[in-house]
Amino acid sequence: MHKKSILMICLTVFVLAAFMSGCALMGPTKSNFKAPKISLSHVEIPYYTGYYYLSAKVKPTKGKAGNYGAPMMMAFIFDIENPNSYPVELDGFKFSVMFEEFEVNTVGSTETMWIPAEKTNQLRVPAIFDTRQTLLTLLLPGAMKMKERGQSPWAILEAWWTGAPDFAFPVGVSEGAAVFKAGDLVEVTAFEATFP
Amino acid sequence: MRMRNTLSKVFIFIFAVALITGFSMTAGAATVKVGALNDMTGATSDVGKDYALGIAEAIHYVNDNGGVNGKKIKLYQFDYGYRVPEALTKYKLFKRLKCVAVLGWGTGDTEALSPTVTKEKMPYVSASYSAHLTNPAKTPYNLFAATDYSSNARAAITAWFDKKWPKHKDYGKRKPRFVCSYMFASPYSSAPIKAVKDQAKLLGFEVGPDQDVSLFAIDTKSQILGMKRFKPDLVWHGNTTMSVASTLRDAYSLGLGADHIINNWGIDENLPRLAGKAANGAMGASVCAFYGEDVPLMKTVMEYGKKYNPGVPIEKRTVRTIQAWSNTLALWEALKRADKNGGLGGENILKTGFETLAGFELGLGGAPLTYTATDHRIAGKIPIYEVVDGKIKLLTVVDLKGRWPAKWNKEWLGW
Repeated sequence: MHKKSILMICLTVFVLAAFMSGCALMGPTKSNFKAPKISLSHVEIPYYTGYYYLSAKVKPTKGKAGNYGAPMMMAFIFDIENPNSYPVELDGFKFSVMFEEFEVNTVGSTETMWIPAEKTNQLRVPAIFDTRQTLLTLLLPGAMKMKERGQSPWAILEAWWTGAPDFAFPVGVSEGAAVFKAGDLVEVTAFEATFP
Repeated sequence: MRMRNTLSKVFIFIFAVALITGFSMTAGAATVKVGALNDMTGATSDVGKDYALGIAEAIHYVNDNGGVNGKKIKLYQFDYGYRVPEALTKYKLFKRLKCVAVLGWGTGDTEALSPTVTKEKMPYVSASYSAHLTNPAKTPYNLFAATDYSSNARAAITAWFDKKWPKHKDYGKRKPRFVCSYMFASPYSSAPIKAVKDQAKLLGFEVGPDQDVSLFAIDTKSQILGMKRFKPDLVWHGNTTMSVASTLRDAYSLGLGADHIINNWGIDENLPRLAGKAANGAMGASVCAFYGEDVPLMKTVMEYGKKYNPGVPIEKRTVRTIQAWSNTLALWEALKRADKNGGLGGENILKTGFETLAGFELGLGGAPLTYTATDHRIAGKIPIYEVVDGKIKLLTVVDLKGRWPAKWNKEWLGW
C-alpha cells in the first residue's frame, strides 16, 4: 500500500511537471513567435456564366427589372505555412483583388483556423464578382485610371469576362493581411501575389 | 495510513485542477458578437473601403484593451456591395449568429432595416448619419457617433452665409442663389434635401432647380450647364467624393462661378487630390478629425492601421477610418456600461449604455457624444472645414442649437 501510494504520488508529480513545463517551455514567447508565411497556390473559377449585362430597362421573364450583371466566382487558394513549434490561430484574413491595375474587390475569411506546428494548411477564399459590381468599381475607385487608359468601362469588362477562363489578364492579390495569434501574442503577415 | 490517503487525494485534486486550468486557457474566453456591414465594392466603395478597414482595426484595439469587461468582441464583417436586399440577408445572419449589435453602413439599407431593428431591439450603429434616424420616438435603436446630415447641411450653408456672402460683390443688393446637386434616387444623397432647403429659406436664399448627378458620374457637364442658367452663388453637393470631385472639376472648367458646400461623405483627403484646384474654397462639415490630425487618439489609430493593414499605404488612409473608429468606440462604451448594469440585451445596451452617454469624449476630434431618451442627435455645434491650397482646414463652428434653440428642440428633430 505504502509503495503504491509513493508510486502514485511520483506519477502525479511527473505528469503535472511535464504538463506545466510543456506549457512553459514549448509555448509561444515574443522571441520565438514567427509570422507564418502565406503564398497564393492558385486561382480557380468555380462558377461562370459568360459575359452579359442587363440594365433596368430590360424586362425580365420573371421577377423585377434591375441592373443585373453576369456573375463569376473566383476561388483563391492560399498555402499558410506555420514555422513555429506550436500551433497558431488564424484570426483574420483579407485582401484586395486586382484585375490588371484595377482594384475590383476586397474579400476575406472570418473563420478561425488552427495551423499545426511546422505544417502547411490550405485556405480557400471565394470571391464573387458580377459585371454590375465591377462596373461600379471601375466608375468609382477606378475612374481616374480608366480615364487615363482612354477606354470605356464596357470594353474593359468584356475583355475581363471573356478572358477570365484562360486567365488572359493578371489577377492580383494586394494589400493582404492575415492576423495570427498564439496565446496573447499577435503577428500580422502582409502578402501579395499575382496569378498566373 | 490516513495521512497518505489524504496526501494522495490532494495531489489528485491539484492534478485535476491543473489539467482543467490548462485546457481552459486554450479553450478561449467568452466573446461578444458584433456584425458589420460594409461597402467595399458598390456605389459608395470610394469611401467605404477605408471605413471597413477602420472598423476591423478599431475592434482589434477594443480587444487589446479589455474588450467588453474582459469579453473579447468577435466581429463578423461583410461586404454587401451597397445592395439593400443583401444587407437584409446579412442582418438575418447576424441575428442567427446572436450578434448583440450591428455596425451598419448606408442610408438605404439602414432606413430599410430600421423598423426591423426597432422591433427586434437591435442596436444599429450606422455610417448613415441621416437625420431620419435621430428621433428615438420613431427609430430608437438607430444611432451613430456623428452629427447628422441635415444638421451638417444647415451648418454648412449657414457658415457660407456668415463668412463668404458678406464678401460678395452683390451682398446687400440681392438674395444669394442656391442649388443642390445630388443623385435623386439615392436615399443617402437626398436625405438632407428638405432640411438644407429649409435652412436656405430661413437665411433668405433664392432656391433654384435641383440637378440630378449620379454617384458614379465622371462627366457632369450637362448638369453644370443646367446650373449655369440659374447663376447660383452656392451649390450643395450630396454625393460621395468621386462624384463630387467630377462635379467640381466640371464646374471649374465651365466657369460656373459658384462656391461649393459638400455633405461629409463628399469631402475628404481625396477630394483635393482628385479635383485639384477646383476643390479650393469648397466647404463642408466633418464629423471627426481628418487622418493624421492632432487629436488624442490619432497616434493609436495610425499605429493600428500600420499593424493590421501593413500593405495599405498611409497616403490611402482618410477621415473614413476615423469615422469608423468613432462609431466602434461609441458602441464599445455603450456595451461596457450595459454589461455592468444588467447585460447585453438590446434594450439594456440602449438604455443603460448609449442613453447614459452625456458629453462623452472619444478623443477623435468629433463632438462629445450625448444621447437622450428623446433625442439621438449627438450635438448642436458643427465644425465646418474649407479646402485651402489643397489642405482641409477648420473654418468655423456653427452652433445651430445655440442660434436657433426653439427650432433645434421643437422643429428640426428627425428630418
